[in-house]
Amino acid sequence: MSAPSRPPRLPRILLRHALPEDTRDVVDGDLHELYMTRRATSGAAAAATWYWLQTLSFTMRFTLDRVARVIRSLAGGDATPSGLDLKLGARMLAKSPGLTLVGGFGMAIGVALAAGAYAFFNSYFYPELPLHEGDRIVALGKFDPKRQREDEQLLHDFRVWQRELRSVVDLGAFLTIQRNLVSETGQGEPIKIAEMTASGFRLTRVPPLLGRTLIDADERSGAPRVVVIGYDVWQSQFAGDQAIVGREIRIGRDAHTIVGVMPRGFRFPINHQYWIPLRFDPRVPVAPGTGPNLDVFGRLARGVTREAAQAELSAIGRHLAAEGPKELAHLEPRVVPYVDIFVNAEAENESTVYALMRFLIAFLLVVVAMNVAVLVYARTVTRTGEIAVRTALGATRGRIVSQLFAEAFVLSGISAAVGLGIVAIGLRMFDDYIASSGGGPFWIDAGISLGTILYTVMLAVLGAVIVGVFPALRATGAQLREAIGSMGSGTKARLGPTWTALIIAQVAIAVAILPPALLKGGQMVQLALQKPGFATGEYLSTQFLVDRDVEASTDSIAARAAMDSSRAIVKKLVERIAIEPGVVGVTVTSSDPWGGGHDRVEVDRADGPSERVGYSTVDTSYFRLFGVRVLAGRGFGAADAALPGNQRPVIVNRSFVTELIGGGDPIGRRIRYLSDGDEVNPWHTIVGVVEDFPAGIVNPAERSVRGMYHLAMPGEWDRAKLTIRLRGQTPEAFAPTLRRTAMSIDPMLQLNGTTSLYATYRENTRAAAQLALVIALISGSVLLLSAAGIHALMSFTVNQRRREIGIRSALGGSTRRILTSVLARATRQLTLGVGIGLTMAVVLDLAAGGELMNGTGLLLVPGTAAFMLVVGLIAAAGPARRGLRVQPTEALRAE
Amino acid sequence: MTHQGLGEFEQMVLLAIAHLRGEAYGIPIVEEIDRRTGRSVARAAVYVTLRRLEEKGFVSSWMSDPTPERGGKPRRYVKLTSDGARALREARQVAERMWNGLDPASLRAR
Repeated sequence: MSAPSRPPRLPRILLRHALPEDTRDVVDGDLHELYMTRRATSGAAAAATWYWLQTLSFTMRFTLDRVARVIRSLAGGDATPSGLDLKLGARMLAKSPGLTLVGGFGMAIGVALAAGAYAFFNSYFYPELPLHEGDRIVALGKFDPKRQREDEQLLHDFRVWQRELRSVVDLGAFLTIQRNLVSETGQGEPIKIAEMTASGFRLTRVPPLLGRTLIDADERSGAPRVVVIGYDVWQSQFAGDQAIVGREIRIGRDAHTIVGVMPRGFRFPINHQYWIPLRFDPRVPVAPGTGPNLDVFGRLARGVTREAAQAELSAIGRHLAAEGPKELAHLEPRVVPYVDIFVNAEAENESTVYALMRFLIAFLLVVVAMNVAVLVYARTVTRTGEIAVRTALGATRGRIVSQLFAEAFVLSGISAAVGLGIVAIGLRMFDDYIASSGGGPFWIDAGISLGTILYTVMLAVLGAVIVGVFPALRATGAQLREAIGSMGSGTKARLGPTWTALIIAQVAIAVAILPPALLKGGQMVQLALQKPGFATGEYLSTQFLVDRDVEASTDSIAARAAMDSSRAIVKKLVERIAIEPGVVGVTVTSSDPWGGGHDRVEVDRADGPSERVGYSTVDTSYFRLFGVRVLAGRGFGAADAALPGNQRPVIVNRSFVTELIGGGDPIGRRIRYLSDGDEVNPWHTIVGVVEDFPAGIVNPAERSVRGMYHLAMPGEWDRAKLTIRLRGQTPEAFAPTLRRTAMSIDPMLQLNGTTSLYATYRENTRAAAQLALVIALISGSVLLLSAAGIHALMSFTVNQRRREIGIRSALGGSTRRILTSVLARATRQLTLGVGIGLTMAVVLDLAAGGELMNGTGLLLVPGTAAFMLVVGLIAAAGPARRGLRVQPTEALRAE
Repeated sequence: MTHQGLGEFEQMVLLAIAHLRGEAYGIPIVEEIDRRTGRSVARAAVYVTLRRLEEKGFVSSWMSDPTPERGGKPRRYVKLTSDGARALREARQVAERMWNGLDPASLRAR
């Protein structure tokens, strides 16, 4: 077979698009000549490679040249956009409201996403510490490269660092504990407390508002118990009492004296409002790698770089590793900017993910802007005549481009402002969400920073360049010369192949991207709309936790004793609550009725493969309390609880039986979890079947409610969910009784999120509803833009042929044949786009492991494709009909 | 018209055109520069420069007939215009004025 005697086709096409018209043929000819020579001397493959490289080089050089020319022309005297241009731009927007609304909406969403991501990433991963010389504050840790995370049992090292480290000053450590703040009425409210060395206050260089901060003497064992409080709690809990210093409060079991109040905004080390001294008896030896989890901080000594501090720390680390146990030798001591220890941005996989996400979001904006550019171009092309006249009257290309840029900037500027507004609302929502779940770190400022505003302005300019300048360059290029040549002859400009290709790409992207978005959005809506199917308003639930002292956690015998006492406390709480008036019953479970985990299990003697099922752990009163009927076998009984944990039976639900056992008799069958290692999990015997509960809630991602229940008794937990069913009183009214009872049993017993199950469920679904809204906005804007793009393309193409349609119909052509011929091209383009989109959808589906083409997804893909076709055809039909109505005489006159 | 100076690369391209006399088009210009400077220049850069030089009025061009060995495409031959020749002479004079009287010893690295 002989090789073709021409250069490869694809680069030639590329070249033709990249080169200016006056140079195309010449370069094509020269490269052809050289290619033939090379082919004769070095062979076809080498010549083709050479041709490709030349194509890339030419494309790059001429594109750069083009950009340089535009910049030069814009920098020239008359090319700077004026206020008049902006006014004209606003008027043009008002003249085409459809374009303005669709384009503006799309760009606003695009800007909101890009600017929102910018604000989020910057404040979370690249924040500035709002403290004096915050960039010199560091965290010291030991990174475990095997597990890609920090090792936090640092007490031993901390003591050595305190003694030996010279390059870091104000060295300190903290850990966060949670204790009850006991009110005068005897109710407890869990608060987060920083147990911190006094050096933490020196490090921040923030003086107290009232009283004093912690001092080194407070750290000695036996010193009086003191606490420093933050401004917010001073206001909210103590009504801003000016005489607060010296007052006693009860935290957990102990009374503490308030010695100081920190000023507003002070929340070091993370988001704390209570500080008590961190106390470790220096006489008690601590083995390496044991003790509580600590975070260590300090300030680089004057004139010391982080690298120098790292070198010193590494040297100490090598010395410690040589003496210490072998299994800890691989840990790498490191000095990092303070914030990095918490966001772990240095773990390789995570930083790649952040970078990728940033890129994708920025890319999204470009896609949106390209979409809008298609729309704007379709309109700009119709103005080629006007542009031609202005050029003939002496306007330079730069002048016209800058005017079109100004027009686009009006649109992108307004969109950016709206986008920024959306970001502000989104950040506020996120901030509220964070605040409701305990508050974010003090260095995160979720507001809109100057940086975010500048970034948004940049996005607006970028948008205006894509939307205004690219179409303007096209419209004032070769087509303009044609238009000037044919001024008055009735020939109109064309929508070139680039734009047609863009629209095909847009249809393809819409067909490929929308179905997954719709699927996910639909699932979220489904989640948000589900009703649990039982009277959630009758139940009060709380997350309980019996905290142990720090000292206990360094000693294993003490830890076991503390665990036993914790469990006794929980048992007592359940017994005491059960006899309160108005209480129907109490149950202790691992999670809310709709919560719990999912894992793969296999059924003994079953043919099918292992399946994912939901599981949760409940006590013997659970089913009775929630009114869940036992359909076969029995519920859990006291005899089951007497067995050791791994021999206890399980209860499954109806869906479990139908889907995994095929409806046969499940009682006596055995199930076990699949193990991922060598260890084999024990078998559990099924002793009962209950109805699906809660019947109304299906996790759309799991698509099944099959589940199983394990048994654990209240006295076997030190932290779990306590749910109380009430009659004759509301959960809100009973909550104080619960809190008081808990406090009277033990001040170390903490209750979190004490609220009705109804409220818990609403909170659960709120996140789903918000996510659904975001997905709807994004996919809605993609859909709208694609539909508008297709509409623009279709009406534009058909409009160009209106006269032809008029003449053909005047000459007696059949309406059907005329329409068929007009719509054929449009349909071909649409079909091509849909075809590419379907292929992409299938590829995406394979990559996502078959999530998409399953169930509803199977209908969504062809549905979206059909929708795009219909939109395109409707868009084409309007102008085509108008064409058919053109009077033959009018059509002929115009020719 | 504003004064338009010559960049170094523009000078090289103009000089190559001058050397080639009436036979200058893209391919021989690139070869001429390669041969005389002993270094390989990016072909695309030469074409971008040629286009700019023509816009500045330093070269003029005409098309040959299309030939089959070029895929039916013509050649664009270029020659110096009088402006182009003057710009080259000026560039040389400026350079010579700078070199004049320079002690070679002062170029020795210390």
